[in-house]
Amino acid sequence: MKTVMIKTHEAWLATLMAGFMSKTQNKQVLFDFSDILFRHFTWLENELIELGESYSYDRDSIPIKVEKLSVMLENIINRLNEIDLQLMSSPDKNLDARISEDIKYMKSVLLKMNDEHITAFNMDRKFPGINLTEEATDALTLFLFEETYKEYELIMIYNYLKAHSKDAYLNRIFQILIDESFFHLKSFGDMGAKMGILAVPRIIMKELYQVQDVVQFLKDGINEELAAKDECKRLAEAVSKDSPKLEMFFDFINHQENYHISLMEDALKYFEKGKNE
Amino acid sequence: MSMDAQLIEHMMEPKNYGTLEYADAQGIGKNPENGEKVAIYIRVGKDEDEVYIEDIKFQAIGCTTTVVAGSMLTQEAKGLNFNGVKNLVKATMKLLDKLPAEDAACSEMVALAISAAIDTYEAKINDPDYPIITYKISNSCVVKDENPPMETN
Repeated sequence: MKTVMIKTHEAWLATLMAGFMSKTQNKQVLFDFSDILFRHFTWLENELIELGESYSYDRDSIPIKVEKLSVMLENIINRLNEIDLQLMSSPDKNLDARISEDIKYMKSVLLKMNDEHITAFNMDRKFPGINLTEEATDALTLFLFEETYKEYELIMIYNYLKAHSKDAYLNRIFQILIDESFFHLKSFGDMGAKMGILAVPRIIMKELYQVQDVVQFLKDGINEELAAKDECKRLAEAVSKDSPKLEMFFDFINHQENYHISLMEDALKYFEKGKNE
Repeated sequence: MSMDAQLIEHMMEPKNYGTLEYADAQGIGKNPENGEKVAIYIRVGKDEDEVYIEDIKFQAIGCTTTVVAGSMLTQEAKGLNFNGVKNLVKATMKLLDKLPAEDAACSEMVALAISAAIDTYEAKINDPDYPIITYKISNSCVVKDENPPMETN
């Protein structure tokens, strides 16, 4: 079961990366499939929790540097075949059947996808249609590496918290934060692919998501969101001369952080209230 | 951090990132200011009477600069005997003065984590239950304001 969960984690990320690489109508299909695989991952995680088995978000590194999308698609199909085989070890036969049916359909679509030439790893660091100064390019590069990882980290932390909570109020907050981080991850990953610097976020250390003190985590998280707002403001200023479109995007991300902060403050109040009662 | 192709390669695909399943020792480098840390895992080989780093991995809670420093330094350390690794750590620490404060803190954290892993390995020879050693950095990760506000009475 643990192996199936790890393999599903890897297949989810591989499919998401393939979505970033694509420049055609394949992109949305790959994003949808990656979302399905993420849901499989959460179901398998839930089953492990119900069985009382310990687990972690450790996984292998995922090689993605390809020149043709077909190579990546073949890799994903192999990953799905492996998951399908390993599903036999799961005690929940209904869950296995659901995942297996999804895999069967996804494989049939992936097999028929048109091939594409991939430019997501050419390290050109040129944003299509926008001429950025070297300074702005460096700032954007660093931002994309930092934030792509950060959003993945947040998805995993909130997912872990949600998986271990039965509180509807908190789970609503965690789910919104997961959805928001997915939107940011997809936006930044897409930008990274356009700049030719696409990379898989690194593996998260256990102590980050196996949160011991949720109140402290939320307090630190609010401070991090405030810092992210400043970073977005700085970046918006750095790119403003060269691209009003990018400036607007980073202003938009900056304002979105207000909503995240507000949700985290709600969760914090709720936790502190629970502690004092 | 000014960027060249080599640096971007390390950002896209950090070398030696992750954990070692059968590590002989682990070491931690920590920033007490903000909780950032680097964990180093080593597997030690023996060549005649000399021990050397057969394999090395790292994990980081930190920024991209820390990951790049981890990627570069672990590449350098792999295959070196312990004296070589100690010299690498010394040479890195000497270079820190020439780096901007925030970059110095990141590199120091990695160098100290490598040092801690070696020291943990050596301590475990006499006491197999010796705990993982943690060293704290002295450089500050917080960039100092170039024009700090003047103090007024």
